[in-house]
Amino acid sequence: MSAELRIAHLRKVFATGKPAVDDVSFTIAAGEIVVLLGPSGCGKTTTLRCVAGLEHPTDGEISLAGEPISAPARGILMPPRLRNIGMVFQSYAVWPHMTVRENVAYPLKSRGLSRADQDRRIADALALVDLGGYADRPVTQLSGGQMQRVALARSMVYEPRLLLLDEPLSNLDAQLRLRLRDDLRRIVKKAGLTALYVTHDQTEAVVLGDRIGVMRDGKLLQMASPEEVYNRPADLFVAAFTGASNFIPGQVTARDGEFGAVRTADGATLRAWMPQGVVPGANVQVAVRPENIRFTEAAGSENRVTAKVTAQRYLGMQTSYDLSVFGATIEGIEVGTAVRYPVGSEVTVALPPESCWAYAASADDARAMTPH
Amino acid sequence: MSQGARFRPAKLIAGLWSAALLIILTFLVLYPTAMLLVGALTNMNPVVDGYHPEAISISSFIDVLSNENVHFALGNTLVACAGGTAVAVIIGLFFAWIVVRTNTPWKGLIATAGMLPLFVPPLVAGVGWALLGSPKTGLINTFLARAGIEWRIDLYSMSGIIFVFGMYYAPYVYMFTASALRNMDPSLEEAAEISGATPFRTIFTITFPLIAPAIISGMLLSFVVMLGIYGIPAVLGAPANIPVLTTYIFQLTAWTPPEYSKAAAVALILMVATGALVALQQKVLSGRSYTTVAGKAFRPRSLNLGPWRFLTLALAIIYLLVVVVLPTLALIVAAFRRFLFIRDVASLFDMKQYGLLHFQRLFENPATMTSIYNTMKVGIITAVIGGILAFAIGYTVTRTQAPARRWIDIIATIPVAIPGLVIGVAYLWAWIGMPFGFYGSIWILALAFVARFMPDTVKALSASLMQIHKELEEAAWICGRGTLATIRTIVLPLARPGVVAAMTLLFILAIRELGSSLFLYSSSTVVMAVKLLDYYEGGNVGLTAAFSLVQMVILGVLIGITNLLTRGAANSSVGRAG
Repeated sequence: MSAELRIAHLRKVFATGKPAVDDVSFTIAAGEIVVLLGPSGCGKTTTLRCVAGLEHPTDGEISLAGEPISAPARGILMPPRLRNIGMVFQSYAVWPHMTVRENVAYPLKSRGLSRADQDRRIADALALVDLGGYADRPVTQLSGGQMQRVALARSMVYEPRLLLLDEPLSNLDAQLRLRLRDDLRRIVKKAGLTALYVTHDQTEAVVLGDRIGVMRDGKLLQMASPEEVYNRPADLFVAAFTGASNFIPGQVTARDGEFGAVRTADGATLRAWMPQGVVPGANVQVAVRPENIRFTEAAGSENRVTAKVTAQRYLGMQTSYDLSVFGATIEGIEVGTAVRYPVGSEVTVALPPESCWAYAASADDARAMTPH
Repeated sequence: MSQGARFRPAKLIAGLWSAALLIILTFLVLYPTAMLLVGALTNMNPVVDGYHPEAISISSFIDVLSNENVHFALGNTLVACAGGTAVAVIIGLFFAWIVVRTNTPWKGLIATAGMLPLFVPPLVAGVGWALLGSPKTGLINTFLARAGIEWRIDLYSMSGIIFVFGMYYAPYVYMFTASALRNMDPSLEEAAEISGATPFRTIFTITFPLIAPAIISGMLLSFVVMLGIYGIPAVLGAPANIPVLTTYIFQLTAWTPPEYSKAAAVALILMVATGALVALQQKVLSGRSYTTVAGKAFRPRSLNLGPWRFLTLALAIIYLLVVVVLPTLALIVAAFRRFLFIRDVASLFDMKQYGLLHFQRLFENPATMTSIYNTMKVGIITAVIGGILAFAIGYTVTRTQAPARRWIDIIATIPVAIPGLVIGVAYLWAWIGMPFGFYGSIWILALAFVARFMPDTVKALSASLMQIHKELEEAAWICGRGTLATIRTIVLPLARPGVVAAMTLLFILAIRELGSSLFLYSSSTVVMAVKLLDYYEGGNVGLTAAFSLVQMVILGVLIGITNLLTRGAANSSVGRAG
């Protein structure tokens, strides 16, 4: 039953001001899970609510299984109840005046199913989310995680064509969030549903999504597999948002294919991957994840330099060092419980070129990108 | 040991303070209530016989319980209040939904209009609708006759009482349900919509069940207020001989010789019914509220009604017309017109028929000015004494560790469950047989009002006291100030807006109070509300209408001033007393 979702040139403008969603286009294949990732106010929830039919798009077209469901230009706007979509809300939105069973049964009531058919589907849905024994409990007696699973069962019981999830884990405590995160993917995949998932949590996005779409200021910046988003971020913002918190300013001196040379402030040369459009002479910021900096690399590896340790933070399972190198201060992380380099000492580090990404940008851009 | 010794004087003072408050509250609340009970259990007349504890027996109370007239009045009361409540729920819920959940134009105006009926004194509402809808001379019927329409309306009937009750007490349901709707997580409704439910089904299976506690509690409150209303059934029920408990109690005391003990017994029935309903309402309110489950601020959903929004607007305007505009117009016509007889529509607009005749006669009668003067005097005494007492109680209960403060709180809250009329009867029993002339003085009215409105005043003051952080006081203590100096220099200045608001609220409540005044006034202490009833019962329509307008203007000006002073805080409480 799951269907392909196609969004083309979606725009949504509230009252006056900047558009909340600005020319967003993507397609989710049947059975695929796509996660929209971005900071609050980036337009990801608005996009989701447009797909649900709870918001009316200003422009663009949304179609499900080839059939347009929102197309303002053509006057098409299917009400949510006819879209046959499932949705899990951030606040769970389980109805407190009903039992677990009544909550899950509610969507079936308007679908003209036989009594036996309804019962079977309710039992299946509750079994799928591991709530088989809770059918007759009032939902107010459940824990947050259980309520969220009731919401999930309710949204899947009628085999919707598409499942929408709006930050479904953000109201749970950290431990429960981890467990439910893994459960969610398993359950959705088992039901074979097409799913659109919205979150601001990178780890959640990586674990859950077949593909991740990173949004900012209403625009979709990159949509790709988690590995690609993490290893080949489309721009400085995507790199920063996914955790590349080191920025080394420099100027491109040469380019060969996907890689090139960058001269940094201290005159050294750094070999880095470059997206298209970065040409020799351009001012760039080279983004590096702290986890990708290698300590005491054997001679012969590229971008191998000596750095000075200026600060040290012991975190138990790992140690974070501030390193003065390439005319900048960057953070490097070494995994392990031992602290090996005291402040003031010199250490040899290597920055693998495939983990150094040079983006055309000014220093201010880079600073603005850094979360926290 | 030495510490204990040092604190002993403070403990003694706190104990004395609590004892003083308890004595005052006993005098104001417990003693009259006990005397009401005594009255209900005897068949003597305290004026003639004095008080005889040995005359107490259950038999006279049982006689009253088995009295057919009491059954008739009780039955009428239940029908009128149940019918009125049903109408109030339909109107209140509908307006709450329109204002919170739709895109009907001029929602702000509708929200304000929805609260207006609370400010119309019940007697004035009754008089207004008697002018409009009396079966023979009512203005509406005059128009129907001139228009050649056979059909007539008759407000002097049970359905008339139900209609006016429902119209004027809908705001209670509105207040509760509108805030519940506003605080409801919109995704609860969105989830239903996504699940495939139509908007209609969503309203009846999700929205209304979720706000059921608010609906029930608004329903119970409006029922309780209707139970204690005298003005509306007195005006509309008397001509058709439909007594309700309140009017029946007053009748009993107006007969010669007055049946004081029977009145006390019926008042006791009314009090028990009210108390039970108030307790039920508190239980519903304190019970689990569904709507606060998520506990965060929401942007309420607003349903696009399309062209239907003009229908909802039209209904709101009709409500405003029926509740405020029509009765006011009727009062204006009756007050300024020499004779209420209206031959045709043209005659209605014939300015020669209008004049200030009734106002001249109204103010020529010295009793009018005396009643206004008395009312203001009672209002000021009530506001000052009630305000000071409520501050003392509120501070003691919320801020100190004084002994027995729980009991002080409970006794001060008891009057919530006693209709004004019942307080009147209780004060009558408490003081009419006493020698020193307290009964019949202006003070008995004021003290009855202080007792009657104490719960509202204490609640309002406690709320503003609780906004003052405890540390502000503690800082003053650390600086070396004593308790009294701290109250004077820190608490009072900070709580002043709340105290001023509570006092003006008390003043307004006191000057519009009718129910308890009925049993406590003497010829020299007649107040406005009683005088208005007197004019009405004297059959002078013009005078009644003119005095109604005068009272509405006085109230309107005072409420306007109060709102300016308190920015609307008093709005919700004014109507509570009915």
